[in-house]
Amino acid sequence: MTVLDILINYHIAFLQGLSVTLKLCAVIWSAGLVGGVMLGIVGANFPKSWGRFTHGMSFAFSAIPTLVVLFWLHYPAQAVFNVVIDPFYTAALTLTLVNTFGVGEFVRQAVADFPQQYIVAGRVSGMNMRDIVRYIQLPILFRQLLPSLLVLQVGMLHATLFASLISVEELFRVAQRINSTIYRPIEIYTALALFFLVVCLPINLLAAWLKKRYTRDFSER
Amino acid sequence: MLEARNVTFGYDAKPIVKDINLTIKPGGITVLIGPSGTGKTTLLRCLALLEQPQSGEICIDDACYRYPWVPGQAFTPPWPKLTTVFQQLFLWPHLTLRENILLPVKLQNKADNDHQLDALIEAFDMQDFIDRYPNEASLGQRQRVALARALMLKPSYLLLDEITSALDVEQIAKILSYLKQLRGQNIGIFIITHLLGFARHAADQVVFMADGGIGESGGPDILKTPKTERLFQFLSVIAAAS
Repeated sequence: MTVLDILINYHIAFLQGLSVTLKLCAVIWSAGLVGGVMLGIVGANFPKSWGRFTHGMSFAFSAIPTLVVLFWLHYPAQAVFNVVIDPFYTAALTLTLVNTFGVGEFVRQAVADFPQQYIVAGRVSGMNMRDIVRYIQLPILFRQLLPSLLVLQVGMLHATLFASLISVEELFRVAQRINSTIYRPIEIYTALALFFLVVCLPINLLAAWLKKRYTRDFSER
Repeated sequence: MLEARNVTFGYDAKPIVKDINLTIKPGGITVLIGPSGTGKTTLLRCLALLEQPQSGEICIDDACYRYPWVPGQAFTPPWPKLTTVFQQLFLWPHLTLRENILLPVKLQNKADNDHQLDALIEAFDMQDFIDRYPNEASLGQRQRVALARALMLKPSYLLLDEITSALDVEQIAKILSYLKQLRGQNIGIFIITHLLGFARHAADQVVFMADGGIGESGGPDILKTPKTERLFQFLSVIAAAS
């Protein structure tokens, strides 16, 4: 049985798994990016309150493995509060939190460290703050942040695999179940690797290209 | 008239600029000279209203700004009627040099941008690099662009901080001769420079700054016959170095 045969025979199961993975990604990416950007901007503007909160939470999430947070929210937290939550939502919440604070910290740092001289140059040229933000600050920040944010989102796609460990029927779990039926680990995991390669490699290449295209020597040699 | 009255500025209790009184007239060139670290750039930033002095008053024509500044007090920005070219230039890195020059003027809705830009490109020899990004241009090229960006705004007062430091002799001559022409357009120019030759030939007023205060000021003849020992020493050091 070849990789292609497996994909054809089990295409319904794979498509269902893929659908769950994509739904997870849709939640994690959209909520994480929107929430993270807002958190980062608020954190940069209120460094002593929200800034410290974002920074601290980002530190905490980078120190605690995502899998531990996921398991903690799935088992002990639900037992403590005596609730049963669909594993999909638990996984979505966990990964969204990780993504939100990751994005938030990137944005907070970029906004806080934005070279003030570019804003001063805009002011003395008669530009109002709205125009400075629109034509100077946002384009520079966007170019600076986009590659890092893309790479982070690829990392979040990879992290959806953890959801399989709390019984979310996403792509990896589907692959495991098919493997337990037909025992073709080489073919199945090769197919899975190819899937991630096809999806993630272009995003990583795009991030690398954007970094090369837009990263300028701000030091003005 | 751009006027500073009893302006004092410092960090914590240490004054950097002490009790400065200075007048920059429209159509005149005021040259500020002095040793490094004596507060020249800080004074320029105060005049540009980019720093808030601890005391004093800065008047730009009819608008006066009194210090110490009261938080919440209404502030009417004087820019770009008064504009500045900094020593570090501050060109926006995501825009080409042409876009750097045109962005502020387009937002001001000033007409005839293209004709004016073409004239500046020719005057400052910028044809070969005008469509490059700042990181692709030399410091001298960027200095010319930063000056052009300010001139496009047709300011009434132009404050320039060491803008010829990276230019060759030919470019310096071109830019300084261009600045002299601006007098005819009634623009008041305030320039920090070490080019004493320019001060001698073009300045209407020379101000010598030392230890945060004005050591001596007057016409260009103060460079020939200084009245204070401190200016005499400064000129002697420069003469010995050159």
